[in-house]
Amino acid sequence: MEGIPLMGFLALGAVMFLIGAVGVTMKRNPIVIFMCIELMLNAANLTFLAFARYHETPLLGMISRENTVMNGQMAVVFVMAVAAAEVAIGLGIIMAIFRTKDSIDIDEMNILRG
Amino acid sequence: MPELMDPSMPAGLNLVWMILLLPLAGFLFQAAFGRIIERAFGPALGRRILGFMAVIPIAVAFVIGCILVTHIANQPSDARVAISTWFDWINLQSIHIPFELRVDPLSLTMVLIITGIGALIHLYATGYMAADKDYPRFFTYLNLFIAFMLMLVLGNNLALVFIGWEGVGLCSYLLIGFWYEDIENAKAANKAFIVNRIGDWGMALGMFLIAVVFASSQNLLGGETRYLSFDVILPLAQQVVGEWGGAVVWAIPLLLFIGAVGKSAQFPLYLWLPDAMAGPTPVSALIHAATMVTAGVYLVTRCHVFFEMSAFAMGTVAVIGCFTAIFAATIAWGQYDIKKVLAYSTVSQLGFMFLACGVGAFSTGMFHVTTHAFFKALLFLGAGAVIYAMAHNQDLRNYGGLRKYMKITYFSMLMGWLAICGIPIWAGFWSKDDILGKVFASNDYWHAQGWAINPVVLWAIGLVTAVLTAAYMTRMFWLTFFSGEERWRNLPDPQHTHRPHHVHAHTAHHDEDPDEHGFFLETVEEEGHHDHHDLGPTHEPREVKPSMWFPLVVLAALSTVGGLILSGGYPVTEVFGVHTTNLFKEWNAVSAQPSVLPSKELFQVSHSTEAVLILLSIAAGLAGILWNRARYKKGVPKNEDTKLRRFAGSQWGYDNAMYQAFVNAGGKLSEASYKLFDKGIIDTLLVNGVPWLVASTGKLFRKTQSGYARSYAMAILIGALAIASYIFYSVSR
Repeated sequence: MEGIPLMGFLALGAVMFLIGAVGVTMKRNPIVIFMCIELMLNAANLTFLAFARYHETPLLGMISRENTVMNGQMAVVFVMAVAAAEVAIGLGIIMAIFRTKDSIDIDEMNILRG
Repeated sequence: MPELMDPSMPAGLNLVWMILLLPLAGFLFQAAFGRIIERAFGPALGRRILGFMAVIPIAVAFVIGCILVTHIANQPSDARVAISTWFDWINLQSIHIPFELRVDPLSLTMVLIITGIGALIHLYATGYMAADKDYPRFFTYLNLFIAFMLMLVLGNNLALVFIGWEGVGLCSYLLIGFWYEDIENAKAANKAFIVNRIGDWGMALGMFLIAVVFASSQNLLGGETRYLSFDVILPLAQQVVGEWGGAVVWAIPLLLFIGAVGKSAQFPLYLWLPDAMAGPTPVSALIHAATMVTAGVYLVTRCHVFFEMSAFAMGTVAVIGCFTAIFAATIAWGQYDIKKVLAYSTVSQLGFMFLACGVGAFSTGMFHVTTHAFFKALLFLGAGAVIYAMAHNQDLRNYGGLRKYMKITYFSMLMGWLAICGIPIWAGFWSKDDILGKVFASNDYWHAQGWAINPVVLWAIGLVTAVLTAAYMTRMFWLTFFSGEERWRNLPDPQHTHRPHHVHAHTAHHDEDPDEHGFFLETVEEEGHHDHHDLGPTHEPREVKPSMWFPLVVLAALSTVGGLILSGGYPVTEVFGVHTTNLFKEWNAVSAQPSVLPSKELFQVSHSTEAVLILLSIAAGLAGILWNRARYKKGVPKNEDTKLRRFAGSQWGYDNAMYQAFVNAGGKLSEASYKLFDKGIIDTLLVNGVPWLVASTGKLFRKTQSGYARSYAMAILIGALAIASYIFYSVSR
């Protein structure tokens, strides 16, 4: 891991994010869309972690790896918690939609169009 | 009425307020109680009471007018002006307009004409209108008219004159459209009202201009702000207006003259007067011959100082008057309707009055107003009697030989006819000859002033007009009373045919029990026999009832000797070297004498020339009479209905042209502006355009609201990318 430069993680995060974004905009199945959203969130998480690892902030002036501020890592935990909650609600919504419309095709959920 | 007393006036002169208030009281009485009395006493008795109550205020006002004349006449000639103020009407810092009346020879002359002839015509109307269903309404309007007319002539400031001016216009409108159920009458009333607006516009502007000019002058005595009062503006006019100089000098008189042209039916605004004949005949006699239409001459005479300062304005007045005189005379020659003949004759005679005023002979113009009031009221009332006797048929071609049936009317109208033709000793001669003489005599003066048209040309036109006047009046007179045959006997029997189109005024005569009796002079019991069928072979005309012929006789007497008495035989006596008092001129000296123009140099003519002029004007009258007597001796000639006569009768196409130019073109202009502004800008651009803009903008952006979550996501993405790029870009720079 030491040999991989920061730019590699960032590039991977960007590619993952783009794949997720393209998937969100292109896919019609909400399950796949959720997966893509997860992909985007994880791309963000990866970026957080990469920055956290490469730009450590010392805690109260101590120069020790064990004593760094874990800001980036903490953000990832929060993101994962939010993502989990979001998936739970999202899947609930999808279930409700499926019960009323017998379909979960995202393009049929367009009754809010102008 | 103690509150009316003005301590500065001689006590007797405060009676002038009674002159104004009596007709007003009459109006209020008729308006408030007319219907009630008619219902309470029944039409027959109720109408007699109402008729009595309508005549009495006017007659009493006439008596008071006579009393005032005697008061004033005792004063020296230049002290015959008194002003009575009742209350402040408008009192601002910048202008003060009190409610004030002016008693002077000019206003009293008009008061005597208005109330004297007015009372006679009211009396006549009680007979003429006896069977009309709207009897109280008629006298309500008629009394109101007298009140406004008196306000016009008695008011001491232009604002009060303007109230009267508009008020008589209103009453004229109401009375022309008195039989409003016929749409033609309503249209005629509208025409009169609308055409008069043009004149009133000029009058109002002239008034404002006078106020502005005087308000900015330093010549007024300390604190005097009555910028419209005659006793302030007339003596100072020459000084104040002279200081301004420039366009104001001719603008003031010409604006006032526009008012006079409208009210006195001069070319180019005369067209309402012939149509005004749609009103009942007493109205035509009172308003459209004797009084209201002379208001313009009164205004010019009252404000003569303003006119005198501008030779251009005087010339305009004279030329317009002269042209109107001959123009209307030729039109009268082409009319078959007895009232229309008289209407155009009135326009023509009014032209004579303005011609006189235009050369500076204001007193002579007023004299013609007076004599014209005598004989034209007489002729109109006589025509009304004829119309009444002929079942409201007004076509000269259906008359003939009426002399046999209506002796009193015939004899009275004979006097009126001789008067208007200008035959010596009858009233019209003295005034018309005096006008023509004055026009001729003023030639040198106005020529030196640089008039484009010399007065001698105007005199020649006036002389031709005198011939034409005698000609068309003889035509009317002969076709009515002489010319052998009784032409109505040749008409188809009305029992089997439809009612002729022109018998329109007749509709008012059927619904109630007609009071065919005369009013308090009535002695003869008459059956309403001729009013209830149309003219036909079995028709027998009858002399009208006493309440109608009595005014005719009085006016006939005035038309016969009135002119001679008032003028004292001037100018004939001068030719013979006899000195008599020209009562009228002497009486009116203070108000109608030229005050700017040099009265000595103005009218210069030798006695021999004067004699020739007099002979010429007599010859003109005689020529007209002989010419048309020969022509109509045996009834309507075969070549009567020529193209030329029809063209003349249609006002030489003028009315039609004006209709095309203003009514039709105005309608088209309105339509175009309606299409452009109302339809185009307001409706299309604003009312429909704004919602359209909102809707189409919404439509454009609505496409983004597809309802597809992915496209929203895409938009968010693109937006986020755009913002991110921008941030990166600005950071990296």
